Amino acid sequence: MSNLAKLTSIDRRWIFLLIGLGTLIPVLLPIGFPVRVTAPVKQIYDKIETLGPNDVVVLSYDYGPTTGAENDPMTDAILRHCFSHDVKVIALALYPLGGLTSLTASIDRITAEFPDLEYGVDYVNLGYKDGGQATMKLLAEDFSGAFPNDTHGTPLSNLPLMQQVKGARNAQFAISVATGIFGEWWANLINAQYGLPIAVGCTAVSAPKYYAYLEAGQMLGLIGGLKGASEYEQLVKDNYPNTREAYANPMLQTASKGMDVQTIDHLIIIAFIVIGNLAYFADRRAKRA
Amino acid sequence: MFLKVRLPILLTFFAGLIPIVAFFFKDGTPYVKTLSSSLEQDMVIVSGFALLLGVVNVVQGNVRKIERREKGWFYAIVLLAGMAFMGLFGAAGAMRLFGLPGIGMMADGRPTPFQWGSLYLFTPLQATMFALLAFYIASAAFRAFRIRNVEATILLVAAVFVMLGRIPIGEPLFGPITEWMMQVPNGAAQRGIIIGAALGAASLSLRVILGIERSYLGLDKSE
Repeated sequence: MSNLAKLTSIDRRWIFLLIGLGTLIPVLLPIGFPVRVTAPVKQIYDKIETLGPNDVVVLSYDYGPTTGAENDPMTDAILRHCFSHDVKVIALALYPLGGLTSLTASIDRITAEFPDLEYGVDYVNLGYKDGGQATMKLLAEDFSGAFPNDTHGTPLSNLPLMQQVKGARNAQFAISVATGIFGEWWANLINAQYGLPIAVGCTAVSAPKYYAYLEAGQMLGLIGGLKGASEYEQLVKDNYPNTREAYANPMLQTASKGMDVQTIDHLIIIAFIVIGNLAYFADRRAKRA
Repeated sequence: MFLKVRLPILLTFFAGLIPIVAFFFKDGTPYVKTLSSSLEQDMVIVSGFALLLGVVNVVQGNVRKIERREKGWFYAIVLLAGMAFMGLFGAAGAMRLFGLPGIGMMADGRPTPFQWGSLYLFTPLQATMFALLAFYIASAAFRAFRIRNVEATILLVAAVFVMLGRIPIGEPLFGPITEWMMQVPNGAAQRGIIIGAALGAASLSLRVILGIERSYLGLDKSE
């Protein structure tokens, strides 16, 4: 058996080691690859740009910590964009851990960068509600039907922003940053039944299924995986100089930095696929001989 | 017979029919819209009970595992302890007991016990589990992506194009190809799957609403 053919039975710990190094080194020594913005992401950015100071975006945190590395930079960039552009935000979660950790942590983190914002007037955190599609149907008609109080226990009737919009259908735009099937529910229940423009931010592995909705016009845009998140970050950084300071923080894990890791790891995986096939053919030739 | 079969079928019929009928009525239509909204609120409450059912199931399964000293029984203790910790402090926080202001942060900025468990135990553990996927995907790609036949070759080429198209180095060349692959062949296939699944779900729903499908009651067609 040739040396190349022996590679078919390489110890997988070598692969693990290379992937580990390919992840660790770019995190410690960022490369800063350029980001090219694609149409599905730009369409979401452009939609928010058309909104005015009295318009409302519903941002649903439909993901948990498992996909936070991909989804957190999306919600952070969307919030920075909305607040920089003076658009009001109603944030909620339909995924259990989205409300407990991602939503509140994200709202606290981003609103700290905008000290002029007033809770209840410029943004509201409704927290998490169980019930999936039933909750979604309720909040489309009337937020208070699904969320009688916000996450601090304040009745919605005491929050000025919630007097402005009765249900999600009265908002101007809804974005679901989702893991699993939640994004599809927003397309099927909210866009299809109420006509509210919606967009989805999803993990890279979920992105293919959403292209069917995107192409059918049931979604206005799509932020797919870390790549999509880095594109949105780039748009916000380029057009809102006030956000550059936050993104310049070396301790902040952004999608742009994550793209360095993704680039190196994809190249390692492709290299292993090529090596694996060369070894496979060498092994087959050796067996025939 | 009535309580076990006819009543559940009647309830299912009306619960299934009301949202369909309400969809065709305008906003503000009395009775129909109100009834539909009440039903949706009830569904949220019922789904809460499903969580409780899940908790009971997890406890039963893991207690059995510990009693029988099955493989990994020690982890079952850790799981139950974690569930008890989060469950008790979550419930206490939600009911504002023991001076807890809720399940988020306290007034002085410190996390409540529930939030502490969420932030410093559950979140990193879940993120770690998902992060391990990268290693296994790399290993699986090395072993599985082989040019064995035409179908496997198409799959391999598509995967490599998409991987290159989604990184800055390969994007100028492979980005447009990736977008085309996502929009056209992938979009067409996904649309077929989604429409097929939706038609299947609609027909199954009709069968349930009309009482033809009774397996959810533990009955077969003859009963």
